[in-house]
Amino acid sequence: MSSLPAWLTDERLSADIEPLLRQMDDESLERLAAEAQAVTLRRFGRIISLYAPLYLSNFCSSGCVYCGFASDRTSPRRKLDVGEIEKELMAMKALGIGDVLLLTGERTAAVGFDYLRRAVEIAARHMPRVVVEAFPMSVAEYRGLAECGCTGITIYQETYDPENYRELHRWGPKQDFLERLETPERAITGGIRSVGIGALLGLSEPVGEALAVLRHARHLCRTYWKAGVSVSFPRIRPQEGGFQPNFTVSDRFLARMIFAFRVGMADVDLVLSTRESSTFRDGMAGLGITRMSIASRTTVGGYVEADATSASQFEVCDDRSAEAFCAALRAKNFDPVFKNWDAAYNNPLAAEESA
Amino acid sequence: MNSLRLGSYTFSSRLILGTGKFSSASAMIEAVRASGTQLVTVALRRFNREQLEDDLFGPLSEIEGLTLMPNTSGAATAREAVKAARISRELSGSPFIKVEIHPNPHHLMPDPIETWEACKILAAEGFIVMPYIPADPVLAKRLEEVGCSSVMPLGSAIGSGQGLSTAEMVKLIIRESNIPVIVDAGLRSPSEACAAMEMGCEAVLVNSAVAVARDPAAMASAFAKAVEAGFEARNAGLMPRSGAAVATSLLTSFLGAAS
Repeated sequence: MSSLPAWLTDERLSADIEPLLRQMDDESLERLAAEAQAVTLRRFGRIISLYAPLYLSNFCSSGCVYCGFASDRTSPRRKLDVGEIEKELMAMKALGIGDVLLLTGERTAAVGFDYLRRAVEIAARHMPRVVVEAFPMSVAEYRGLAECGCTGITIYQETYDPENYRELHRWGPKQDFLERLETPERAITGGIRSVGIGALLGLSEPVGEALAVLRHARHLCRTYWKAGVSVSFPRIRPQEGGFQPNFTVSDRFLARMIFAFRVGMADVDLVLSTRESSTFRDGMAGLGITRMSIASRTTVGGYVEADATSASQFEVCDDRSAEAFCAALRAKNFDPVFKNWDAAYNNPLAAEESA
Repeated sequence: MNSLRLGSYTFSSRLILGTGKFSSASAMIEAVRASGTQLVTVALRRFNREQLEDDLFGPLSEIEGLTLMPNTSGAATAREAVKAARISRELSGSPFIKVEIHPNPHHLMPDPIETWEACKILAAEGFIVMPYIPADPVLAKRLEEVGCSSVMPLGSAIGSGQGLSTAEMVKLIIRESNIPVIVDAGLRSPSEACAAMEMGCEAVLVNSAVAVARDPAAMASAFAKAVEAGFEARNAGLMPRSGAAVATSLLTSFLGAAS
């Protein structure tokens, strides 16, 4: 394997937070929660920014053992055509959504860069904020997406443990650990304004994974001072294929991890999706978490068709409607914000100045 | 004498409120009313023409006697800020623009170079330009030269609640300025707002400290009183601080007796 970047194992980048992650007692957890709440309130106030995923396609060329879209699953493959994308977006807009996450599997002949760029173009006409969670691309391809109105990308490393990574990714382009690891930097260099990172929690030893994500986030903030960095905390959910995670990530550990990230990175967005339960999501609002997904359909065509037939990438846990979720946030004295961006700012970052 | 002049507008209230970070639009509106403010800033990114429940502009525009000052929060460059300002003017009908350019989306510190560029363009286009700036006396004068209607130096970082950590620089800006100086960002308590007014600020802009208070409306009212008290105290003439102690052998004895 070509050499790993220095930041990945640079303990100085995470030394302040490591002790917080290694504590196990309830008292320290409560103290950490209070600190995370105070930091979040000062910097972000009483708002939670919302986004919603839109699954464009479940074609996939990779063989990730933990994913319902992996290319050896037998479920029917599907991709939305231009008209369907438009319809899904209109359905999302009717729910008030102004921030969309476009998702695909790994690059295939059916779903490649040109398809994705077209989808971004369409989405940018309807939504001020368009984020892409797809496959690793080149700097030039990211430049192309940014010019079409893509404001951010999300790319999870899945696991930061290279050995484990090799075993979990059985074939396909995603086998290249380093190419994936350097994807956020290529995106920023291509002019994408914000990058979301994370580890799929449960694949490798949780404390080690948390520290690696933290180093990655801090490395990105330090190196690319104009780029927005956000961190997500996806935990493995049941999916087609029935993979059992190697490590259990308890609610308490996940909460501790999120609190520690908020204390360690006061002003980055921390994101929690509908993978988590309604109780956990409601509880974490404002305790570090500042962005959440709503009304998540994880099937292709899930917004227009009440009962979409394609397989889902994973099972949603918090399946409340947008209305019900917003009502719960309001009851906790938080304002669910559907639009917290404006298309006036959708210009590629000046790459030569970012690097 | 007793009103705040910004461009051709006059205001009797010297408290400007930010409208983000509140737990709901109604909590924000209550705070605005309780503060008696006549000028509020609202981010273009929170204008939502598609989903009125989510929109801050609509409910604010219904309050009588309230002037809106859109802001360009989210802009990373002068070009983006200018575009956002023009769109905001179309949407709000207000000639005010609070120029906020922060290329780093995390700490949100204003970019002095891009801010100057944008202000020069917007002032020439007839906007009442109110730039959010680092507390830099030279930049403040440069912005006055290009036609800004005020300068708004930060007390400390947005949302930090660290108060007037830039007090010495703000004093220098005030001493040299021919346009109103308004402290914006970082204030945590009404006493800090009062201190800013006593120091010579013409107004104070507060957001987080009110939005995240347990009772935002009560906190807004407290800030309004503090701002008024500080302004009144300044006009009443503050007692001089006690100077250096007078030496027993007079420093000026060599001058001889007055003839």
